[in-house]
Amino acid sequence: MVRFVVRRLCGMVAVLFAVSVLVFLIFNVIPNSDPALRMAGKNATPTLVHNITEEWGFDDSLPQQYVTMMGKIFSGDVISYEGQENVDERIVEGIPATFSLCFGAAVIWMFFGVLFGYLSAVRAGGLLDRVLTIVAVTGLSIPVFWLAAILLNYLTYQTEIFPSGGYVKFGESPLEWAEHLILPWVTMAIVYVGIYSRVLRSNMLDAMNEDYVRTARAKGLSERRVMTRHVLRNSLIPIVTLFGLDFGALVGGAIAVEAVFSLNGIGQYAYESLINTDLPPIMAIVLFGAFFIVLFNAFVDIAYAWLDPRIRLGEEAR
Amino acid sequence: MSEALLTISDLRVAFATQSGRVQAVDGVSFELMPGEVLAIVGESGSGKSVTAQTIIGLTRSVNAEIEGSIKLGEQELVTASEGELRGVRGTRVGMVFQDPMTSFNPVYRIGRQITEALRAHRGDVSKDEARERAVELLDSVGIPNVERRVDDYPHEFSGGMRQRAMIAMALALDPEVLIADEPTTALDVTVQAQILALLERVNRERGLATILITHDLGVVAEVADRVLVMHKGTIVERGDLDRIFYSPSDPYTRKLLDAVVRIDTAAPLRARRESESLLEVTDLVKHFPVKRGIVFEREVDQVKAVDGVSFSVRQGETLGLVGESGSGKSTLSRTILQLLRPTSGSVRFEGNEIVGLSRRRLQPLRREMQMVFQDPFASLNPRKRIGQIVGEPLRLQGEARGGELRRQVQELLDRVGLSAEHYDRFPHEFSGGQRQRIGIARALALRPKLIIADEPVSALDVSIRAQILDLLSELQADFGLTYIFVAHDIGVVRQVSDRIAVMYRGKIVEEGAADTVCERPQDAYTKKLLAAVPIPDPREARARRQTVVQ
Amino acid sequence: MRVASQPNVEEAARAAASPWQLAWRRLRRNRVALAFGGLFVLIVVFALAAPLWANHIAHTGPNSTHTLQKLEVDGEKREVVNPSGKPIGPQWLEAGGRFFVGADGRLGRDEMVRLMYGGRTSLLVGFSAALITTLLATLLGLLAGYYRGWTDTVISRAMDVIWAFPVILLAIALGLTLAVGGLKIGPLELSGSSIWIPILIIGAVYVPYMARPIRGEVLSLREKEFVEAAEAQGAGALRVMFGELLPNLASTIIVFFTLGVANAMLLESMLSFLGVGVQPPNTSWGTMVGSGFQLITSAPLLTVLPGTLLLLTVLSINVFGDGLRDALDPRSKLRLELHAGASEPEGTAV
Repeated sequence: MVRFVVRRLCGMVAVLFAVSVLVFLIFNVIPNSDPALRMAGKNATPTLVHNITEEWGFDDSLPQQYVTMMGKIFSGDVISYEGQENVDERIVEGIPATFSLCFGAAVIWMFFGVLFGYLSAVRAGGLLDRVLTIVAVTGLSIPVFWLAAILLNYLTYQTEIFPSGGYVKFGESPLEWAEHLILPWVTMAIVYVGIYSRVLRSNMLDAMNEDYVRTARAKGLSERRVMTRHVLRNSLIPIVTLFGLDFGALVGGAIAVEAVFSLNGIGQYAYESLINTDLPPIMAIVLFGAFFIVLFNAFVDIAYAWLDPRIRLGEEAR
Repeated sequence: MSEALLTISDLRVAFATQSGRVQAVDGVSFELMPGEVLAIVGESGSGKSVTAQTIIGLTRSVNAEIEGSIKLGEQELVTASEGELRGVRGTRVGMVFQDPMTSFNPVYRIGRQITEALRAHRGDVSKDEARERAVELLDSVGIPNVERRVDDYPHEFSGGMRQRAMIAMALALDPEVLIADEPTTALDVTVQAQILALLERVNRERGLATILITHDLGVVAEVADRVLVMHKGTIVERGDLDRIFYSPSDPYTRKLLDAVVRIDTAAPLRARRESESLLEVTDLVKHFPVKRGIVFEREVDQVKAVDGVSFSVRQGETLGLVGESGSGKSTLSRTILQLLRPTSGSVRFEGNEIVGLSRRRLQPLRREMQMVFQDPFASLNPRKRIGQIVGEPLRLQGEARGGELRRQVQELLDRVGLSAEHYDRFPHEFSGGQRQRIGIARALALRPKLIIADEPVSALDVSIRAQILDLLSELQADFGLTYIFVAHDIGVVRQVSDRIAVMYRGKIVEEGAADTVCERPQDAYTKKLLAAVPIPDPREARARRQTVVQ
Repeated sequence: MRVASQPNVEEAARAAASPWQLAWRRLRRNRVALAFGGLFVLIVVFALAAPLWANHIAHTGPNSTHTLQKLEVDGEKREVVNPSGKPIGPQWLEAGGRFFVGADGRLGRDEMVRLMYGGRTSLLVGFSAALITTLLATLLGLLAGYYRGWTDTVISRAMDVIWAFPVILLAIALGLTLAVGGLKIGPLELSGSSIWIPILIIGAVYVPYMARPIRGEVLSLREKEFVEAAEAQGAGALRVMFGELLPNLASTIIVFFTLGVANAMLLESMLSFLGVGVQPPNTSWGTMVGSGFQLITSAPLLTVLPGTLLLLTVLSINVFGDGLRDALDPRSKLRLELHAGASEPEGTAV
């Protein structure tokens, strides 16, 4: 197990490096225009472009440019020329909102996803299964940003069931914090509830045909025990990995949801930067976002390995 | 006259499947008496497993129709509620399944899976007590190092030990009846002998009654007291062990017994001609590197699948290659054909060295050496018509095209006992035996000199085996073929081979004329192997047990 | 070796039917999947009818503005965009089909025409991107799975790096930089507003998601004996990959492609909503939701309509795709039929 962990972490470092190189390539190398011009944004003046070129070293060799870029981003030295503010600082400010959104949505989707998936599998073929399947497939077909707009309009603006006005800090008022987050949470969760309930249903149906389930029944275990201790337990393992991957994808959805609901997190910052074609913030957000996901996935992989004794203890039969 | 423990009357089980209604069990009645081992013998599709699993209601589902009566003592099981059935499962009837690897849940420890059974039924048992009992049970079935082993996971046990653990688990609550569904089919012969002995001992010591489901008549002869022969869902014959084996009355039973291949029968006399050596293998080695490493994988060890093998095969003869799983026999066959590149060593075909040849140089040689594979379901591409499959070698080697190709393929199909009109069919439309015939036709297409048959009949029913072996024999005579016949079943090998080589852990431990090796083995492993093979002859089996005891 | 005497359902010999025909029969029985497949076809027809509608009924194009115009309806004059900027609502057939569902905001463009043309773009981008993904993923998966060794390592590591990036972030980054700067790789030169940019981006980012499972399947197929048989007959790498492996991958690939179109369309719409997908003058349902959002309170229809169309399209593809998967690989469906005794047709001499 230790060997596995070390190996995974080393792999992670390699991937982080590759990701940073990829970000560098995307922002500075692949596109077909002057990088300094791109970064200067809408208010580009020749002086500004010249200053940017110097600061970021766009006249230097590529490897040198890479080092400069990474150095600036990680030392908090990136300035958005559009908004005239420090990018890293603004990102840090946005963390609470984004984290509240993502974490809350994740809890909701995991809970309902597993619940619906379990019910669907246990009552497979029946009415409940069909209904839940329809809900699930519809859920995963909905464009998240559109749903956010619709819910905002009909449940907040038109009918005022839910409050408008953006993010409220948890410290200020937990109740209002939650109130303002309910719609965003639901918006983000719906898609994933759909996906997860179907994956779990499918895994469970496969597991139900396994030999060890037959053995469990032959031992005289109650149906519920068989379903939870054996079928569900084994079916959850792949869900854990999936969760790791999807939590990463959440970040993208967060951009649209935060923008629509004015939640002032990293996502909204990204949205504004995109609309204004302001590059430096996007650069930093993409890099940090990718890094976060890589770390998170390494963690999930390790958790998964720990859950599966075949990996934890090695595959040798003694 | 004791009371029957289990009485089954006119049991019928039907399933609704995608291909229509299937009557798996069609009016089965029998009794199980205390203390006896009742063997239910049949081929695939006979309904024996379905019968066994229906006893404790494992076949119940929306698509199953179950009629008739199953009485355990006074309790009627067919109409029993789920709750009542649960009360019976494990406590009065214990069950052991065929594949212990997949029958245990891989994520829970063995001990825990045993205690789970205990505590599901006996709420008054504490965790510690349950664990102690689990340890006791594992010990009673012969697991060494019990205290440590009880906390192991299933994948950490060897196949034989897993089956022992499964038996222990089935006995945890002291049931009156034990049902063993093909308990040794997935095990090596030597391990099988141990498990059968264990089952017999357990049955005796605990005063159980055991139902043993199997397709292997040798297994039946070893342990059964009474036998039921099943065919297409009904019992065609029943009786005491000796009567069934020595005076069977039903034609199907006789057919089964005739088809069984016995290790202690000399092979039919084969015309022996002195002929040239066709294949010479010298010091052949195939190692697979085992790589470990943190960032960069280094080779830390090797799996020595083939560890210095030498033998030769003469034109027109059949060399039987016998070994259990892990012996390296499959790797050896593939290495000879250069499907795997040898690590070192030499293979000379008709005097020419073929190891190390480039792919281009090997190409023409491929016509001379072909292979027949084990798994009738995996050896044919499911997306191709069998005419295409059999014709592929001819096409690849540029032998024939279009109409001529078709004609040759149809001729081949005809020769192996299929019909020319099967040309356009797909593999899924054929039975296992038929698919093996297709595989043989494919191997024959280029008129090779040497055919390596890797377990060609192991996956087939007993009665079909004989047909395929006969076919192979005929073809050998007609086409002047040389065979290397690889199998784990030494009885089958003896029947078809002139000479036998026994493989163990990558090396050939004994080699010689078939009859010599089987009757006067020299090597310790060979002796052990031969001793473990079950003889489908009750008197012989008993005699052998006596000698062992002495 | 497990003897085939275990009670497992393996379909008994059937009348001569290729695996494809069997799949088709299964699909035909699935009414729901077919119904949604029909819905998808209707939507495609709707989108393809764009030029017809534009030329013959609405008499305007998707980008033609009518801000200051007035519509003549039953003698009444209606402003397309009123002085405070509110666009005209749905006219249905009152104006002869013009502005059927209204105008799209300050610019006064015909929303219906835009919906149709937008649909064409969305479908085109989704379909093309999925095609690119499928082709690349199949090729890479085959190569990695067949050759293993170094080829596999290189391909898999490259996939891992892309996989490590959240799809949306990667697509956004590429969308932004390429929209601003255009693309130039060797002879290939694309301007920032070319429709190919989102197609290539979306096509590329999904490759690892498809390549990995395909590689996995190739790895397991490769071990099957029929592949060994082909090699024993002297088949080379190409023949094995395309002659033996690919036909067995076909079902998987078809299902992946179908679901890939749905995912590509969703991604495209998200990118376009954020301004980094389809660029003007092209329009897609995503861009329409983006611009509609600005007027959500005064003209909600501008947001509801394109989004609903997108939802229905993706939904119908998903449902049909599911049905397709069940038809092509029935084992993945709930095994309602339990274990029957017959696994082979019995004892005939053949």
